[in-house]
Amino acid sequence: MIKRKLILIMENKPGALVRVVGLFHQRGYNIETLHVDSVKDFSVYKDIEKKLETKFEDNQISRLTIETMVSDDLMRQILRQLNKLIDVIAVSNEETTYLKGVLLDENLL
Amino acid sequence: MQALHDEGVELIFGYPGGAALHIYDAIFRQDKIDHILVRHEQGATHAADGYSRATGKPGVVLVTSGPGATNAITGIATAFMDSIPMVVISGQVASHLIGTDAFQETDMIGVSRPVVKHSYTVFNAEEIPKIIKEAFYVATSGRPGPVVIDIPKDMTAPDNLFDYSYPEEAIIRSYNPPIQPEQDQIDRAVEAILIAKKPVIYAGGGAIASNAEKELFELNKIIDAPVTNTLMGLGIYPASHHRFLGMLGMHGTYQANMAMHNADLIIAIGARFDDRITNKPSKFAPNAKVVHLDVDHSSVSKIIEANVAVFGQVKNSLKLIKDTLEKKLDSYNSATIQPWHEQIKEWKSQHGLNYDLYKDQSDSHPILPQAVVQHVHEITNGEAYVTSDVGQHQMFAAQYYHFDKPRRWINSGGLGTMGFGLPAAMGVKLAFPKDEVVCITGEGSIQMCIQELSTCLQYNLPIKIININNEALGMVKQWQDMNYGGRHSESTYQNSLPDFIKLAESYGHEGIKIEKNSELKDGLKKAFAMKDKLVFVDIYVDPSEHVYPMQVANGSLENMWLSKDKQT
Repeated sequence: MIKRKLILIMENKPGALVRVVGLFHQRGYNIETLHVDSVKDFSVYKDIEKKLETKFEDNQISRLTIETMVSDDLMRQILRQLNKLIDVIAVSNEETTYLKGVLLDENLL
Repeated sequence: MQALHDEGVELIFGYPGGAALHIYDAIFRQDKIDHILVRHEQGATHAADGYSRATGKPGVVLVTSGPGATNAITGIATAFMDSIPMVVISGQVASHLIGTDAFQETDMIGVSRPVVKHSYTVFNAEEIPKIIKEAFYVATSGRPGPVVIDIPKDMTAPDNLFDYSYPEEAIIRSYNPPIQPEQDQIDRAVEAILIAKKPVIYAGGGAIASNAEKELFELNKIIDAPVTNTLMGLGIYPASHHRFLGMLGMHGTYQANMAMHNADLIIAIGARFDDRITNKPSKFAPNAKVVHLDVDHSSVSKIIEANVAVFGQVKNSLKLIKDTLEKKLDSYNSATIQPWHEQIKEWKSQHGLNYDLYKDQSDSHPILPQAVVQHVHEITNGEAYVTSDVGQHQMFAAQYYHFDKPRRWINSGGLGTMGFGLPAAMGVKLAFPKDEVVCITGEGSIQMCIQELSTCLQYNLPIKIININNEALGMVKQWQDMNYGGRHSESTYQNSLPDFIKLAESYGHEGIKIEKNSELKDGLKKAFAMKDKLVFVDIYVDPSEHVYPMQVANGSLENMWLSKDKQT
């Protein structure tokens, strides 16, 4: 097992963060580091906005960076479970991104 | 209430209390939606769940804050594990009291979080129509599940007025469940089907959720593969069809488990390879390629790696596979799987369920539970809605009541909730008042929600309760017999069972007690002849009977106990 990084963007709504953290806790995965930000600069998410046909506005979106120790298989399962959370817009590891339920072979975040 | 009506809700199950009183007053002042007053909030959730399983529509529950909300949790978790669409509205203490340990305050969103698909708190009354629209959309789309809406009391106050309009549709930009599968996934699935010599179709609850019975039947007219169903999938393929193998898994039939283990292709449809199906995953079906059709990304390759994954509503996926397969029919010859059918026939003849063994025993032998289910099947022509609780009686019902239609077999498969059967039967009976609704239960399970007999009286719900009474927690006892040297720790009641007949009569219902084989058939017939009455049939059965086949722990699907002293 090695330390791996995940990036999520999600709706900035009450309860959204605890659903993400709860998913790790429930399955016994330990979170090594966790960083949460309200996104101000959307220029890096132009592609995502386009794909979702939406426009992000100030304080609507949170960006989470999570580091955790897991195997490859577990990483894949965590990505899928996070993707399933209703408030998660996109979740990405080094190679792949789930964007609103669709798996893409690139790190968009 | 207006929003629920606009959503098309016809029936709510609930129980009032302080924080929900504004909503209850609104119920009193309208006549479009019926409310069923249960006797315990767990009963409300199970009844809504049963209603949903039988109709396909979402079940709706209304409870108050605190204990009302926490009592609903078991029912919410039951629906969550079986992916049943449900919307639970819980009252909450007024906004300014939240976080102050106010009377009947519980963090319902926090308590329910691990067992809901999603949840909402109402912070502004104007949001109520939008939240209700979204909640129903989330509950019913993709892989369905329960959604909780927590509403602080001040949000429903009569003086909290706003301009009401109900949204046409819910758009959630972060939520996009797959509907139509990609054609390249379909092509790969078809390729796998074309070369298979030993295919098995393994269909579960997801196929029922997607209403895919017609598509599955049509597709298998071409493939002609043997079909097995999970406990949750029973009825999606007609049990009377000659290609049907019966249920698979822990207590599945010999032929179903053998076919899965020896298959070269498993077509999994809305099923999730859970631990009651696979036995030890590393030993599971060693030579099989897996084509997995599902709406949920996280269910595919979770336990068993899929060679081909098809994401979408399985109804659509099955139809596309059939259309694509039809174009390649010249390269498919279902005769190539004929030796496979021969093999399955042999397995069936070796250790099929012994249907002839149980019925018509003499009075020198106690009644066998299997015989009870067989007689109920016969009397109801196999057409009843059957709910069950959890334990041996549940497995006997699944094995011996043959379901030809989906949504007729209603049980808590995932969570395994004792107490589910009676309230679920209420929900079904309210949805289909003219149909026969049978609750096959045990004396342990029935006592967990027995208070709902009162609800059945209030709303005149003539359910037939078949209590398979072995005077013990049968499945616990079976495991203690098999794995704990026969030490029956806390699985019997020391002669403390109630007189169920008097109990039923005290609620204004009928009761029939059956203790001998010679009374069984006529007793059951008498019960089902009382069309307008709830009849509690208390049947004393052989307490030493075990459920077989049973998987040997940590083995492959081939390793089964076939009887107390016979193993494969």
